[in-house]
Amino acid sequence: MNGDVATIGRGTVVRGRITGAANLEILGRVEGEVEVDGDVVLDARGLAAASLSGRRVTIRGAVRGDLVATESIVLEDGARVVGDVRAPRVAIATGALVRGYVQTGDAPAASSTARARPAASAATPRAANVSATASAPRTPPRAAPAPVPSPAARPAPSAPARPVATAIAGSHAAPSSNGSQASQPSQTERTPPRAPSAHAPVHAPAAAPKGPPPPVMPALKKGAKGAMSKKRA
Amino acid sequence: MASTVIGAGITIDGEITSDEDVVVQGTVRGKLTARDGVTVEPGAVVEADVSGGPLTVAGSITGNITSTDRVDLQPGAKVIGNVKAARITISDGAQFKGNVDMDV
Repeated sequence: MNGDVATIGRGTVVRGRITGAANLEILGRVEGEVEVDGDVVLDARGLAAASLSGRRVTIRGAVRGDLVATESIVLEDGARVVGDVRAPRVAIATGALVRGYVQTGDAPAASSTARARPAASAATPRAANVSATASAPRTPPRAAPAPVPSPAARPAPSAPARPVATAIAGSHAAPSSNGSQASQPSQTERTPPRAPSAHAPVHAPAAAPKGPPPPVMPALKKGAKGAMSKKRA
Repeated sequence: MASTVIGAGITIDGEITSDEDVVVQGTVRGKLTARDGVTVEPGAVVEADVSGGPLTVAGSITGNITSTDRVDLQPGAKVIGNVKAARITISDGAQFKGNVDMDV
């Protein structure tokens, strides 16, 4: 049953390098490097100050480090990622925060996967829209993960849509001047399906400067360890 | 079930610190510290100093072992290193080379 699954439990810290051919589930904390052939899942309360690489990587917690997958990367609601994200397919859900360079597709497989993409992404925003999640993911498609003007700016639900960002978001980002819809396009914005092999995704002017300060907290702040152990008690 | 499991296919080079049970089925090199129980299952390879609570060994450990509670070396276990624990059992069929310190 767990012959091919490794679990880093909630109260566990691993410093160093994790390798192998198994699936890995991180509920605790990992620092260093993770390189497995199987799937990697980072739980909502998991923390990784590490580069993660695997076949499919699913993030619900906080990561500081690069993510690489041979198949797909899914950043779910609650994910906080500071680092580059590279995979043939990348999904970023509403509520996920990313600061870094995102690249989808690579080599030949890209065209087919990229085509499949828009349909999928068109479906998700609808659901996301209902909940009108406050923090929409904004993927600053930049080469440098470094200080991005306003990464993951949180469009307040009532804020007027930012025309710049939405216009570029493409496909069905039609005139949405309604606040709660403002988060919708940014959802789609993440995977530029049209440029599968091309390197840099859309040049979205990383959002209006008038937004609130970036809510992206560093994946692991300096006292995070202490805070974590406190929480545990 | 333990909350931390190092599965059979996994290798960890480095340091593991845990507040909970740890089960090792794969390979660990470096250091393994747990506040709770540690189980080294058959086929597991630990090349690390191990410290923790109750420690059950059925795999292989190369390194020193410290336990606040007890250490059980089960048949098939292979331990090279010193063991410091309040209680220790060595089953028939376990291989062991090292000192035992039971702080009498």
